Amino acid sequence: MAHEVTLQTAGNMWKVLVKIGDTVKAGDTLFIMEVMKMEVPHEAPDDGVVKAVHVEEGAEGLDAGMIAVEIE
Amino acid sequence: MIYEHPKYSPGGDRYMLIQFGDEMNLDLNFMGQGLASALEGDAITGVIETAPCFASMLIHYEPSQISYDDLQREVGSLVESLGPSDDIEMSSRLFYFQTMYIDPWTKECIDTYREKINPDKEYDPELITRLNDLDDVAQFVRVHSGTEYWAASLGFWPGLAFLMPLDPRCRLTVPKYNPPRTWTPQGSVGMGGMSTGIYPVATPGGYQIFGRTPVPIWDKDGRFEEFNGELCLLRPGDRLKFVPCTQDEFEEIEHQVDEGRYKYNVIEYQRFSVRNYKQWVSKLDQTKRF
Amino acid sequence: MFEVIKPGLETSVQDWPGRYGYWNQGFPPSGPMDSWSFRLGNVLVGNEPGTAGLECQYIGPSLKFRRDTVIALTGANMQAKLEGESCPMWESISILSGQTLELTFASEGARAYITIAGGIAVEPLLGSRSTFHKAGVGGMGGSALRAEQIVPVGDGKGEPGRRVREAARPLIRTDKRWEIEAVAGPNDDWIDTQGHERFLSADWKLSSKSDRTGFRLEGPDWSFTPKATNKLPEHGEEPSNIIDQGYPLGAINLAGQTPIILVNDGPSMGGFINPYTVPQCAFWKLGQAKPGEILNFKLVTVAEAQKSAAEIGALCDESSIE
Repeated sequence: MAHEVTLQTAGNMWKVLVKIGDTVKAGDTLFIMEVMKMEVPHEAPDDGVVKAVHVEEGAEGLDAGMIAVEIE
Repeated sequence: MIYEHPKYSPGGDRYMLIQFGDEMNLDLNFMGQGLASALEGDAITGVIETAPCFASMLIHYEPSQISYDDLQREVGSLVESLGPSDDIEMSSRLFYFQTMYIDPWTKECIDTYREKINPDKEYDPELITRLNDLDDVAQFVRVHSGTEYWAASLGFWPGLAFLMPLDPRCRLTVPKYNPPRTWTPQGSVGMGGMSTGIYPVATPGGYQIFGRTPVPIWDKDGRFEEFNGELCLLRPGDRLKFVPCTQDEFEEIEHQVDEGRYKYNVIEYQRFSVRNYKQWVSKLDQTKRF
Repeated sequence: MFEVIKPGLETSVQDWPGRYGYWNQGFPPSGPMDSWSFRLGNVLVGNEPGTAGLECQYIGPSLKFRRDTVIALTGANMQAKLEGESCPMWESISILSGQTLELTFASEGARAYITIAGGIAVEPLLGSRSTFHKAGVGGMGGSALRAEQIVPVGDGKGEPGRRVREAARPLIRTDKRWEIEAVAGPNDDWIDTQGHERFLSADWKLSSKSDRTGFRLEGPDWSFTPKATNKLPEHGEEPSNIIDQGYPLGAINLAGQTPIILVNDGPSMGGFINPYTVPQCAFWKLGQAKPGEILNFKLVTVAEAQKSAAEIGALCDESSIE
């Protein structure tokens, strides 16, 4: 089952911890955003394999709601 | 330089900055505090609050009650009517604060900074000693603790007091940390530029640190009656004397503070007279240190 | 009262105009950054102007109400749902005991306000219910909302179905660019002519290292008049160092070459110059700007800034309800 992991907030992409082909388990941190000097980790909603990564570490001024990672 | 007339500048739509001069001179702070005192009793409608600093004062006003131009005019008149700073006389509490100089906690903090940020940082008490041509750290302690300190202002952090030595023979000067520390132990006593500060809680900071006092200047939980219901102990115009104590004495007081039994040593019957102060200073041999 | 199911990124109790009278002890006013939206929220639910509400930042909370009440949502759109149904903004809404209100991320703007009939009833501290969480003062125990907290609400008679007419609402931009008013001073005489031109013509990017203590800006360098370099050593070594002075709220504080707009929870004094100050009328824009967005500064006089603030104030009452 495919999952689109979207950005929960506007902000910067502080760390991207996965790449295409990685196997992830539900709850694994996929990437961490930074806003207001706070870290906002985003987790995998389910087990799967990373199919696409649309964000880069260091990207600034991202919009909430955009699709960041796709998992199959 | 002390300005002949104060300089007025707007700070946005609700603030006015009054600059009395552009040097570290207690006179300028006395002027600011004298003006703040005069404004306390509703002298000018529309003034919400004032905050004196070393050589300046910030006024927060309500534009719907007074315009910037009217405020400047009225403050100007008030300043003229107050006369020279020598005439200023104000109530001034005096606190005695037991303080452990060259304590292990600030040392540990400096060691951490050296480890993580700058291994070349000279140990703070030694840096102050060297830059001020003192004989040794023991003389630094005698000189620093040998004077009453004048609370010139509070700010940057709630309750953080900026203190100036009243005895000119005890003036010292040091640069600040660059880059600043990310934390400082609560109660640390430090210096930056010519002013001494006490850290009310653990905060980042740039002052050179060399001592620690167990006496709280911040009381969020309302445990000590000497705070009179406020969270901050000190006010501009208070005076403070650092009384060197041993580590045992420090820990005993810390214990008393934890148990809510600590009694502040505060003298509340004195008035500070700028004229008398200046007369005393003029008689001192400022070439001699303790 | 209500229970905090999810706290959101940083949600806190605030009141307007915040904590006055303690600047000389180092307390900033705190209070809502977008006070225009906040004040209208209180009008919608029938509260007095000084009543406390919630400020939500970037990601909003989920709250479960334990009593029938009336609330309003103003400011940024955090796509609120009441029991799964979309809620309108800028309108007072009926809530029944047991219902859960869920906010997510701000699709436009950054800060949303939840006002409740009767207001948040925590004990005021130093004259205000506003939270200054760096010093652990005010609001819910001195910090942002935490999950499982029960937040007390006062008694109030709110009426549902009241709406703010569109023309009375702040217009939150979606083009990632804001024009921000700036009044020259107090230390404008430390900046040279080219420095002033550069400041007023540049695109200043809002850094994500920005929060309620300060909004850090990225842009061109500043250049200085002799005042900044021919000064006594006690000012400090950098051109932007000055003997510690009081900071007005909204000061554009020049730390070295980095301008930081001092906002609601910022420091009350320090040793850097403030060449310009953002007036109150522009604070709602700062409150809604997101990192990465561009700020362009427009020079205004004190009188113009005061007039704009008064115009906003005139909109924050019953006359804006349709």
